Formats: sequence, C-alpha cells, structure tokens
Amino acid sequence: MAQFNQWALEYVLSDDEIAQLEIVKKAAKEIESSRASSTVVGNWAASVQQWMTPTHADDDEMEDGDEGGSGNIIARAKALGFLAGTLEALNKSILKSDQVLRLIGFFGAMFSYDHKAGITASAKALRRLYAMKAFKPDMGVKILEDVCKIKEDFRLQTAVTRLEIYELFLSLVQDPAVSSELRLKYGPSSGFVIDLLQLCQNERDPRNLMVWFSILALLLTDFDPSPEVTEEIFKVFSAYFPISLRSSATPIGITAEDLKEAVRGCFSAHQRVASHAFPFLIQKLDQGDAVTVAVKLDILKTIQACIERYENPQANVVPHLGKIWNSLKYEVRNGEVKETIDATLNVLRAIARRLDGTATNKLDVSLLSSYVDLVSRDCRDDLPNPTYTKQAGLLLMTVIGSNIRAYLLYNASFIDTIRQNLRQPKSPAHTKDLLLLLNSVLKTRIELFRDRKQGHPDDVQGLATETRAHLDMLFHDVYLPIWTTKATEPVSEERDVLKQVIQGLALLVSQPVLLADGTLALLCSASICSEICSLLTVTITKGLTLSSNDKQSEDSALEDEAVLALRTIVMNYTDGYAELAARVKAEIKKRNWVSPSEYSLNALKDLLSRFTFIGCSEIPSNIATDMPTQKQPSTLQHFITLTTNLLELFPLSSQATSSEVDTEEGPSANAHVVSSLHASIIWFRDACEAKHGKEALASPFSDDQKWLQEFQQFPEDWPSQIQHGNDGPDSLLSTSQQYGAEVYHRFLKLGLLIVRHLYRSAAFGPPGPWGERALVQLSQMAALVVRSLDEKLQVSCNLAQEAFSFFGRLEEQSVQSRLSGLLAKLLTLGILQGLRPGALEGLYTPGGEAERFMCDTSSFGRSPSRESDIRAAIGAILANKYNGKPPTSDPDSSVMKRVLDFWANWLTEAVAASSAMDPATFHAYNTIAMNVLDGAAARQDKRVLALIPTLHQAAASTHPNGKILAQSLGLIVKENPLLTPANHAHLKRFYKQWAYTHLAKPLLQAAQPAPDKDANAAARYRVAVLSVVSNCPFTVYQDDLDLLIRLLVTALSNRGGDDGNGQSNQQEEEAAWLAHVVAALEVLVEILNHEPAALKEYLREVIGGVTGVYQTCSPIAFISQGGTGSALKVQRGTARATCRSLALRVLGAIPTRFEERHVLAYSLPTQRMLAVACGDPVRKVREVARKARANWAMVVV
Amino acid sequence: MERDLDNANPTILSVSQLPSRTRKGAATRNGPDSKCHDIVYPQHHWPYGCSSSSDEGEDYREEPMDEQDIYDLISTISDPEHPHTLGQLSVVRLPDIHLSPSPTELSGPDSLVTVLVELTPTINHCSLATVIGLAVRCRLEQTLPPNYRVDVRMKVGSHAQDDQVNKQLGDKERVAAALENDTLQRMVDKMLETCA
Repeated sequence: MAQFNQWALEYVLSDDEIAQLEIVKKAAKEIESSRASSTVVGNWAASVQQWMTPTHADDDEMEDGDEGGSGNIIARAKALGFLAGTLEALNKSILKSDQVLRLIGFFGAMFSYDHKAGITASAKALRRLYAMKAFKPDMGVKILEDVCKIKEDFRLQTAVTRLEIYELFLSLVQDPAVSSELRLKYGPSSGFVIDLLQLCQNERDPRNLMVWFSILALLLTDFDPSPEVTEEIFKVFSAYFPISLRSSATPIGITAEDLKEAVRGCFSAHQRVASHAFPFLIQKLDQGDAVTVAVKLDILKTIQACIERYENPQANVVPHLGKIWNSLKYEVRNGEVKETIDATLNVLRAIARRLDGTATNKLDVSLLSSYVDLVSRDCRDDLPNPTYTKQAGLLLMTVIGSNIRAYLLYNASFIDTIRQNLRQPKSPAHTKDLLLLLNSVLKTRIELFRDRKQGHPDDVQGLATETRAHLDMLFHDVYLPIWTTKATEPVSEERDVLKQVIQGLALLVSQPVLLADGTLALLCSASICSEICSLLTVTITKGLTLSSNDKQSEDSALEDEAVLALRTIVMNYTDGYAELAARVKAEIKKRNWVSPSEYSLNALKDLLSRFTFIGCSEIPSNIATDMPTQKQPSTLQHFITLTTNLLELFPLSSQATSSEVDTEEGPSANAHVVSSLHASIIWFRDACEAKHGKEALASPFSDDQKWLQEFQQFPEDWPSQIQHGNDGPDSLLSTSQQYGAEVYHRFLKLGLLIVRHLYRSAAFGPPGPWGERALVQLSQMAALVVRSLDEKLQVSCNLAQEAFSFFGRLEEQSVQSRLSGLLAKLLTLGILQGLRPGALEGLYTPGGEAERFMCDTSSFGRSPSRESDIRAAIGAILANKYNGKPPTSDPDSSVMKRVLDFWANWLTEAVAASSAMDPATFHAYNTIAMNVLDGAAARQDKRVLALIPTLHQAAASTHPNGKILAQSLGLIVKENPLLTPANHAHLKRFYKQWAYTHLAKPLLQAAQPAPDKDANAAARYRVAVLSVVSNCPFTVYQDDLDLLIRLLVTALSNRGGDDGNGQSNQQEEEAAWLAHVVAALEVLVEILNHEPAALKEYLREVIGGVTGVYQTCSPIAFISQGGTGSALKVQRGTARATCRSLALRVLGAIPTRFEERHVLAYSLPTQRMLAVACGDPVRKVREVARKARANWAMVVV
Repeated sequence: MERDLDNANPTILSVSQLPSRTRKGAATRNGPDSKCHDIVYPQHHWPYGCSSSSDEGEDYREEPMDEQDIYDLISTISDPEHPHTLGQLSVVRLPDIHLSPSPTELSGPDSLVTVLVELTPTINHCSLATVIGLAVRCRLEQTLPPNYRVDVRMKVGSHAQDDQVNKQLGDKERVAAALENDTLQRMVDKMLETCA
C-alpha cells in the first residue's frame, strides 16, 4: 500500500515524462507480479485517494481563481494520470472481469463528477480498459452511458481530450459485440444515439470531425436507427455541408479534401438517408451563381457517391431521378467549366450503370429504359439547334455509352436522329458537330465490344443479336454523300467536316460484329471496306497526280487525317493494305523518274513516307473480314507487302541525270525508295517495342539459326515472287507468329534479307541506280538491322566477312565490285557499325581486313574528303571494337600495336622537313589516323600513350603539315556519332579525361608564349591544346584554368598569320586561324558559364581580344579580300559569322557575370562597338549583338 | 488609380496573324508520318566526318536589315493600356515601315539609312500616342546601329493632333527631356519589357 502511495506521490510531483513512465511501469509490474490480487489492485486504486476528496471545495476555490485550488485540480489530474498510465503499462490479460468493471465504474463516474480534472485521464483509462481481455460487451454500454453524462461540459474539454473520447466512441461502436449489445438494449429508438448527437453536435476541430464523421456513418449503417433518429443524424452531418478548412500556419495533416470525403462518406453511408440526401444536395446545387465551382464539384461528387453506394436503386435512386436530371442537365447544356461538366457527366453515367445492375445481377430493363427515355426526350430537341448540338450529344452519349444495355436500347434511334439532322444542317459547323457525335457513337460501340467479356452474358447475347441495318447504311447514306459534295476544293470549314468524315470512315471499317460462334468479324462488307480504302487512297496519292502549277493548299491536315484513318483501316481490314500498295505502285510507275522535277520528288517522298507509316507504324490486329481470306493474316503481313512492293519499285530510275552524276548523289527517286525501306524498319521496330515491350526485343535468338544458308536458297526475285502470290521463300513468311519476341525475330530476319538483297544489287548489279544518297541510307539501314542481332547470330551469319564481300556468292566475290571505292566502303561501314566486338574478332589477324582498313593509305578517288571521312569512320570503328585481349605470345605483334606503329612512322615521315606530301593529301590521311586513335582512345587503349610523344613532336614540326596535325588532335576526343552504346561501341566513362591528361595537359606549359622559346612550337602547341580542349566538357580541364586562360588570351590577340604565299595559301591560313579562334571562343563561353571568376584578372585582355576578333572577322574585311567560287565564299562567310557570333556571345555574357566595378572601365568603347555590331549583315549575329548591347547598357557609366 | 481606357475594345490580332519571316526551309511538312524524316530524308545526306554540312550555312546568310527586321524589333512592345503588343493592336504595321535607301540599294555598310515608322493609334484621340511613339523611338535607338536615323510619326489622318505629336517626337531635345522624367521613363521601360 505504502509503495503505491509513494509511487503515486512521486508521479504527481514529477514533471518529467520519462520518469513518470518509469513509475507507472513499476506499478504495473507490481500488479502483474501479484497476479492482480484484489488487495494489490485495491491498494493501487486507493493510492490516489488523498487527491480525490473533497471535490466541491476545489471547484469553489477554482471559481474564485485561487491558485491553491487550481493546484489541487492539477494534482488530481496527475493522480488519475498515474492510474491511467499504469493501465497502459499493464498486461491486457491480467485484470479480472470484476476489476475491469469496477475500474470502468470509477473512471465512468468522473464524467459525472469531475469535469475539470478527470476527463483526459479517464478517457485514456477507459480506452485501455476496453482493450482488456476481461472486457465484456455490456461494459461498453455502461461506458457509453457514463461518458454521455458529461453533457454540456464536453465542449469545454480540450480538443485532444475530446479526440480521446471520440476514439473511445469509435472503438465501441465499431465493436460488433458492443454494438449488438447496444441494439439489444435500445432497439430501433437508439436512445444512446440521441445522447451522442447532443454531446458532439458542436464539434469544429478537423481531427475530431474526421472521427466523428466515421462514428456517424457507422451509426447509420450498423444500428438500424428509426426514421426520426435517422433524420436527426442526417441533420447533424448535413449541417457541415459543404465543408471547408481554413488554411492554418500549423498544418495538422488533414486537408479540406479529407473532410469533404468524410462528410461524403456520411451522405453515402446508407440508403436510409436517401430521401433526405438527394433533395438536400439538389437544393444546394440549384442555388445558382451563389455556388462556387469547388462547392459544385463537391455536391456532384457527393451525389455520385450516393448513387453508387445506395443499395436497391429502384427504391432509393429512381424516385429522385427526375429532380436530379432536371437539375444536372443545365450544368452540361449551359455549363462552361470543364470540371463541373465532367463531374456532372460522371453522375449521369453512374446512374445508368446503377440502373443496369451488376455483371452478375441485372436489374429490370424498364428502370434503365425509362431513364434513357427521360434523357433522350430532352436532348433530341436540342440536336437541331447548332448552339446546343454538342452538349445534347455529350449528354446522350454519356448515358448511352455507359453500358451495353443502354447502348442497345437507344443507339439505333440516336443514329437515326443524327442522320435526320444531317440532312438539314444549319451550317458546316453544325454538320461537323453532328458527325462528331456519330463518330463517338461508333467509337463507343468499339469500346463496348472490347469490354464485353467483363459484362453479363445477356449483354454479350444482346451484342450478338443487335440489329445492324442502321449501321450498314451509314456509309452510303451519311458519309459518302457528304464526302462527294465537299471533297473537291474544300474551304476551311468544310475541311473540318471532311476530317470528321475521314475519322468516321476509319471507325466504320473498324466496327466489329459478334458472330454466333462468339468470334468477331467486321461489320462492313469487303466491298465497302475496299471502297472506303480507295476513297482515302486518292487523298494521299493526289499530290503525285497534280503538277506544281496546280493550286494546292499548304495545309496537309486532311491528308494527315486520311493517313491516320488508313492506318486504322488496314489494321482491321488487312486486305486493304495490299489494295493500297497496288494503287500506290501503279501511280508511281505511271511517271517517268529519269529526271523528275523537285515537285515530283517531294510528292514521291510524301507518298512513300505515308505509305510506309500506314503499313508499319502499328502491328495489325487479328480481326477477320466477313470474307474468308486464303491466308491467315500475319502480324508481318503489311511489312512484307510494303517492303516487297518497294523492292519491286526499285530502281525507279536506272541512271543518274548529269547533275547527279557530277555530285555522285545518284538518282534521288531511287534514294527515296531506299529511305522508305529504312523508315519501314525504324517504324516496325518501334511498333514492336510499343506493343511487346523492350523485353521482347532483348530476348535471345534460338541457337540453330542459319539465316544466310536459308537466304541462299531463295530465288533472286523473291520480292516479286511473293508479290505474285508464289510462296517462294515461304519458310520466312510462315504466319503463325504471335509472340512478341518471335514476331520481332522474324522481322529482323526479313530485315537482313532485304539488306542482303540491296547490298547484292548495289555491289553486283548495274551501278546506274545507286548513288551516294541511296547508299548512305542503305548503309544506315544495315547498321540498324545488324546491331539488333545478338553476337551469336552476327557470327553465324558471318557478317564480319560479309561487310567486305557484300553477301556475294563465291563466284561473284572473285569479280571486283562495280562500285567505286567510296561507295563500296559505305556498304562496309554499314555492317561494321552495327557489329558487336565479339563478332569482329576474326578480322584482327595480322595483315587481315581490319589492319588493311586501319592503315589504309591507298590513293583516293574522285572525292578525297568524303573518302577520307568514310575510311576514318571505318578506322574508328575497327580500332574501337578491337577486343584488346592480351595476345598469348608477343604483345608487340598485336594488330593494334602494328597499326599504331604504322601511323607513328607515317606521321613522322609526313612532317619531316624533306616530306613532299601536299597539305590536302596529308589532311585526308591524317583524318584517318586521328579517327583510328579516337576509336582506340575511347576504350583507353594504353598503346595509344606510346604514340603521343610522336604526335607532340609532329605537331611542333616546322613543316606545314605539322599545323594540320595540331589542329586535328581534337578529333581524338571529339564526340563520334558512330561510336555509341547503341552501336555496341566500347566507351570508357572517363576516356576524355584520360586523353586530355596525356594529350593536352603536358603541352600547357610549352604552349605559353615566352621570348626564350621556340615560337613556332609554342604556337603549334596552342593550336593543339585548344583543339583538344574545345572538344572536352568543362569538368575535364577545370583544374588547369589559369594556364589555359593565358593560352586563350594569346590565341585571341594573335591575328591570322599571313605567310603571303599566294591566295589559296592565304585562304587556308585564314580557315585555320578561324578554326583556332572558334575553339578558343567556345572554351571561353564554357568558362564564363561555369567558372567566370577565373577570368576576373584577365578581363581587359579578354574584352580586348574578343573585340579584336570581331573586327578582324568583320564581313567588310571578307568582302574586300574577295573569294573564289560561291561555295567556298559561303563557307568562309559562315566561318567568319560563327566567329563573330561567338565573340559577341562572350562579350555579352561578361557584364552579367561580373560586378559593375570590374567592367565599368570598358563600358563605353564596348557599347560603341556593339552599336556598330547591331548592323551586322548576318541576322543571327545582329540578334546576339543586340542582346550583348542590352547587357552592356545595364552597366551605368 | 483607375481611369477609363481611351479605347476599351480594340481589335486584337492573334500572334499567328502577325507578319513574320517565313523561311524557305520552314515549309517542311510535319505529319504523323514525319517522325523519322530527320533520319531517312536528312537535309544534308552525308552524315560522316568533317565534310558533313550543317544547317549553319542557312542561318549565317548575309541579309541586310529590312522592314521585317524593324517590325520584329518594335511589334513586341507592350501597349501602355492593354495587355497586348503594338503588333497585335496594329499600332505598328509592316507596310508602314519604310527604309531609305531600301536594303537592296545600300552602297556600303556605313551608308546612312533612314527608318520611318508610321504609327496608327487604335483611336484618333488616343492620349498615349506620344508615349507609344517615344517607346518605339527608344527601342529603335537602343537596337539599331549608329548609321540608322529614326523617324517616328503618326500616320496621316490617324490621330486628331498628329501634327503636334509628330513635332514632339521629331524634336530631339524634347525627346531627351521626356526621358529625364522618371514617370515617363518607367512607363517606357515597362512597355519595352516584353521585347526579346
């Protein structure tokens, strides 16, 4: 006893929560150790006795504001807290039933006698007692009764105490045993509910409200209250509607939306409040402008929740339907706010779904039909009025489209009404709106068919037996007449109508019907589908049939719409694509493509591009037409149709025109066909990815693939064999593939077959049709196909060798390919680009193909620059994909080592004083060397490091070739579009940092200008460093800014070195200087963007240098120097303009990066110079100058 | 400080209706099938190495300043009353911008060019015509090179007091004095905020 008294005293005296917790734990342990003997529990309970009496004196003192009195209350509250705390810490199963009852009695009494001190602790204790094992349901009833005795004083309690009590209530009413006890005791009159309502009706705290609303919802659902009590409950929660929440500085974790949801939960808790809820909500909605959008949305969502959750809609929803509809229809008919319109439509849709029943339990059809009648009666009259057509249609469509039964009930008469209105349209816009409605009926129909399996069997039966006469006649009765009257030269509004017609036609062809055996077929007959196809085909082939003199609208929206529609059509009516292909082919073949006009070429390009898109941008579905086709439609069918037709079309022109021969571009029409084949691969690949996901594309190929052997069995003219229905290479086209990975693999196989076919045609066929443009496309297409194959397949197809033999047969390989060196190398590049390093291993034998190509110094053909580009690209790829495994024997004998040694020797010789190699040739070969180094550097091949001293020496050489080398060093770190992860290139993450550290960093000191140094070598090093740095990201060189900035300043202040060796030399000098300055300016821009502070000490030099560069590059100087040849002139003009633009960018950025005091001194002269720059002859430079001028204008002098 | 607007309901053109420079290359079609056009129909068919041409040549063509350039400079100035630009309100119109000598007849880069801009106020008693004129003048002086002389006027008959307004705008000293006025300067700055 004394122990408990002591603990209670300690607890009351302590203010430390942790200490208090310790005390109650001790007390709990003591009780537990005695197994809750009556004596111990009695002692424990009696330990607070000294604070419990006398109560009335306290109250009196309290009222007098006596300090001592309030102290007593606090002590008493704490003492009770001691008991509650002990209960919290106590094992739930330790107290006996009679003890629990007695404690409930004790704490319950507090609600009658001690409203000041006892409530918080008692509420806590009661909640704990409720959780005790010995708790009996009838005790719950007692708790409720006791607590309700607090009456008026409840609202005087703090929010936290009230929350405690609400939680207690919630636990009790949630408990099935307690609630059944309550029902038993009170019956339907639910007297305790009235007490509760009176107790809690004035609650305003959001947290408490959340619990209170849950209690109210439970009272409605679980306690079967009498109508009077129901009304009382409704009054309590409806008084809060619409609820809002004042924003508070201290967020409590409850949002206004939570409160709205909770009130909504009360409204929709049980259908017994339906008769109160609907009139109440509708009356709120009908207040007109007084209701804000947010409140309107709340009301509409609440109505929707009620409709969805009330059971027995016939009794609870139907009686209110008229009122709901009358009120809601205006929200759509005259509404302007999208959110409210959407919410209203959701309510209307919910009603239709509710009246239809569920998938397992259908309601009587009369309910739904009378609702649809109600809606359609009002909307039908609005359809002829253009102002309301759209809204009326929206209302009707929402109701009809909400379920299959509603659709079947009314779609025929709706379509009939639309048709009648279309006969007498008030305006083109009206026609458009009506067509839009018709189209949405068709779209809804497709969606209902798609979702039919989730519905009731009756619904599916209904779909199978629906009448289709009204749908069958749509084409001839509605779409075709409008199309024929408006299709010739439509004006703007009519184009909108036609767009709707086109969309409608696509939807019409896509309409399914359910056959008796449960399969789907197309609604339209093959003849109608075919007619629709040809109507739309005319729209897209029209461009080719017209001439450039025909007046044509710039706007291609109608054609684009037709393209999309055709794509949808041929996905369903699969025969349509073959028809389209035949039409397109015939139209193209009608023309002579030997020397076509630009207009014709553009028309051809558009047509082929659209033709490709229609067939390959989506994978066809498997819906059958009503005509039994000979073959099961295949997912690859359109792709095959497209590619075989294109291959048959090729070549459109067998020889190039004279201008095309000059440029080696080749016949453009042929290039367009190859481009389309390339596009078809891209489109189909993307379609596969979209439909089957990335995983399907990455799935491995099966092991036993012998594609090349299979291909060799095919006849040469396999495209036309397939075209003419001969099965030909049927193994390839067997059409059962449905699985993503399988479809994709078949597609790649076909892709490789096409690539092989074209490679053979280019390499061994007549050279006339092939030009550079077509071969570039073919090469890129080959790269795309090859890189999608896995290594095993690349090896088994022997692609590494085929890159050089172009899929030639043995007897052909002995014959030299008829293509020129450049064009043949384009083909090689295509395959090599996509190969994985493992598949290339066979090429790296000493003296093998790889070495030959990497060390290619054979002479160039007609276009050295292009040829060096290609050789360089091949060199870079081969050097990069070199496996680099250390050879078992002598490491010095590795191919890479030999290649690098070769170039080291070559460079040393080419820049030796005695070298007679002219700069142009050196430039071309040097590009190859640098690209080989680029490829090797990208995988951080250590053998490259051995070559670097040679590079540095060669760059410093006095020979002019040394300068070319210095300028080209940047190529080693330049972004190479061929070396990408997609192309399976081997790219080390920090290779640029690595290359910079070894290649440029050692030169930074040597490149600084100093009187005691070799000026030529320093200048060359500067060129080399800037060439490298300008191709690196800022982070690579940010540690060397100080040295680098000095180089930049020197680069900017040195004007172009005029050797004066004739005009051409002067021009080359200028080009080199411009490249050097552009590199310097690019680095400056980067520094200004990332670390401008580094430039602070050099501002005078930078501004002076940049201004000088602008003036040196001025267009006036350019004009006075003159230039030969327009192309060269344009090139030089562009280089100078780029330089000026960059100079102005640097200048313009300076005042924004530095404080005014640093730039003030330069403001006036710079502003004068920029004012002049605003008159630059190049528009883009003027724009930069204006921005720079505005920035400098901010610097107040 | 609410006051009645001089013209409460001006006619407003949408941005797409304003005159703009249509580039030759801008005519490329952009249909649903154009996704891979950049790859299969590239503008320059040679994608490899240094000799691959870029579009820069197009952008860096030498084109002397013409009326459209001047229009682009001033059409984006905001109206002091309405939240629209002078171009949208047709206060500035392309046919009312004159360059003499015309860009094609320029003898040299430094030859003197006069820019005459005729403004059309939305109503003929517009009290802000002078402020608009002042803003146009400021904008042009801030952005044109020194060899361009700027002349801003009201179009004949477009304003009830066009003589007086023109005199004010033509008088350099009065213009300079006007810009000394803080309120006016702030107003002009506000109008020029929308210029790129």
